Amino acid sequence: MSTSNSAVHAHKAEIFCKDESRVDWHSKALWLLREKRDRAAGSLPEWEQLRQIGSEMKLHTLTHLGQYLEEFEQNCIKNNIQVHWARDGVEHNRIVHEILAKHQVKKLVKSKSMLTEECHMNPYLEQHGIEVIDTDLGERIIQLAGQPPSHIVVPAIHLKKEEVGDLFHDKLGTDAGASDPLYLTRAARAHLREQFLSADAAMTGVNMAIADKGAVVVCTNEGNADMGANLPKLQLHSMGIDKLVPNIDSAAVLLRTLARNATGQPITTYSSFYRGPQDGGEMHVIIVDNGRTDMLKDKILAESLKCIRCGGCLNTCPVYRRSGGYSYNYTIPGPIGIAVGSQRDDTNSIPWACTLCGSCSYVCPTKVPLDKIIHHHRRLKAEAGKLPYGKASYMPLVGKFMASETALNCSMSVARIALRILPGSLLKPFSGAWGKYRELPVAPNSSFEAWFKKNRG
Amino acid sequence: MSSKHDILNALKSAAIAPQSMPVIDISPRIDDLIGQFETSLNTVAGTLHREGGLAKLQAQVDEHIAQGMQIISMVDGVKGNREVTDTAHQLRDIDYAVIPGDLGVAENGAIWVNNKNLGHRVTPFICENLFLVLKASTIVANMHQAASRITLESGEFGTFIAGPSKTADIEQALVVGAHGACSLNVYLV
Ligand code: SF4
Repeated sequence: MSTSNSAVHAHKAEIFCKDESRVDWHSKALWLLREKRDRAAGSLPEWEQLRQIGSEMKLHTLTHLGQYLEEFEQNCIKNNIQVHWARDGVEHNRIVHEILAKHQVKKLVKSKSMLTEECHMNPYLEQHGIEVIDTDLGERIIQLAGQPPSHIVVPAIHLKKEEVGDLFHDKLGTDAGASDPLYLTRAARAHLREQFLSADAAMTGVNMAIADKGAVVVCTNEGNADMGANLPKLQLHSMGIDKLVPNIDSAAVLLRTLARNATGQPITTYSSFYRGPQDGGEMHVIIVDNGRTDMLKDKILAESLKCIRCGGCLNTCPVYRRSGGYSYNYTIPGPIGIAVGSQRDDTNSIPWACTLCGSCSYVCPTKVPLDKIIHHHRRLKAEAGKLPYGKASYMPLVGKFMASETALNCSMSVARIALRILPGSLLKPFSGAWGKYRELPVAPNSSFEAWFKKNRG
Repeated sequence: MSSKHDILNALKSAAIAPQSMPVIDISPRIDDLIGQFETSLNTVAGTLHREGGLAKLQAQVDEHIAQGMQIISMVDGVKGNREVTDTAHQLRDIDYAVIPGDLGVAENGAIWVNNKNLGHRVTPFICENLFLVLKASTIVANMHQAASRITLESGEFGTFIAGPSKTADIEQALVVGAHGACSLNVYLV
């Protein structure tokens, strides 16, 4: 049963859907990314081969993860990188705070990391008197707006330029009414430069961690990770255990698909490899589990750890595009968010934020079987007696009902007659949420069974 | 230590059967590498100067200096008007940085840069504009070839740079020049 009706996916999506033109605009913006992705993928004859290799390589790494993690740690130590291990978000935050406190850090510049969002690190550090500045433009926008990200690659995709303009006017003193993206970006550039130059430490996420080199790879288009990490002497990198790859060759495979699948670019502007701190500096890597080893215990869920966070599945998902990133009750929205977040979803509704159309699995560069995983989550919820409100009451009946041929045939003919002779307004309430945004179907004259008996039987 | 132990222990009960490492065997596109590189570089908003080499670059640098710009050069044979500073932060007013690239990648226009040649690691990011110098003979077809050729010794930092810094975070409008360099010109030598 759901805990609170107001938080379920359908309800939150309804809030987003109130502004129809915004939904259209949101859907179109994301579909544009999907089209760019298609062009980028289509221009490489070896695209499918890359997906296959990416998938197998990630599976190989995941099934030898203990060994690769130890190898990675040993090589990091040789490179003068300090390695920390965290079972969960709480431990992660504590470790980060200890490092920062030891260096009396007052200001931390951070570049996009969904993991630190997952661990709720910003509020934790802020409580301890450390100012955290998100430096990716999209992240900074939503940080100033006091919102969480609504997409994993383009976190402020839900905001219009006029809204960003108002926000910047308020917080950064840009001209009132200004909404030109170039002007606003330049203003943010100037503002963030000051932050980079006055920060005591930098933190980034990790796109890939290379076991045999003891190096981490960080990809950005803006260069914020590198402006951050290469100015102050203290750099921290947070990574999930799933970020490991065996060697540079494997990283190269993913670097070929990551940006192409995310935004249609041939590669991100900066793909940086850190194999040690700068002269006189310190480099720390925090390796985080936070539920990942649990997922590896389930054969189907385990495959979601192949994800490289390109966001391609969000862009293609018809539900995400029309319900917005805030409707998922998890930091990571969209198909991959359902895959990795369902078990923490106390509304038990997000596995149903999906039509099982399979488009996400089709675009994924590492072949994460998203629709299969989402379907599996529905089963897990059902088995745990946690079907969302509404479904819990009728789904078991539907099962019994569908299993009985007589009951099904009889009621179907009633439904057909009803659909033909009763006005829609009278029938609609019976269709529940399904009928809310749909027209009722035109009823056929006879049942399929009758048609089959007559024509083929 | 115990968290490490716990994580590694938990991994022992993972459910998927061990999978072998796939062979990465992708045939490169080797026709007209420079042409491919130029097209890719344009796609990522960079500009290639095929002819003229260092002399053309020096002329460009001189012109900028005459206009009062601050230019640091890490390339032998090109002279700027600024030296490597004591701290990375002092590079904040650099208008142009001239740095050497180790290799170029035809499929995506990326250029590998290693910190040995940067003075400070932040040089290619903190400068307002970037000039990269690349030997034509170092252009490889794809990332697989690049991966086997780049050098990254213990303690080093290296980065593939593909064009100037950019963002599309405000309504998906592409803006060139986010935090890093606002333009990238590559000189082939
Ligand atoms: S599941 Fe696949 S498509 Fe979705 S974000 Fe991860 S890698 Fe990209």
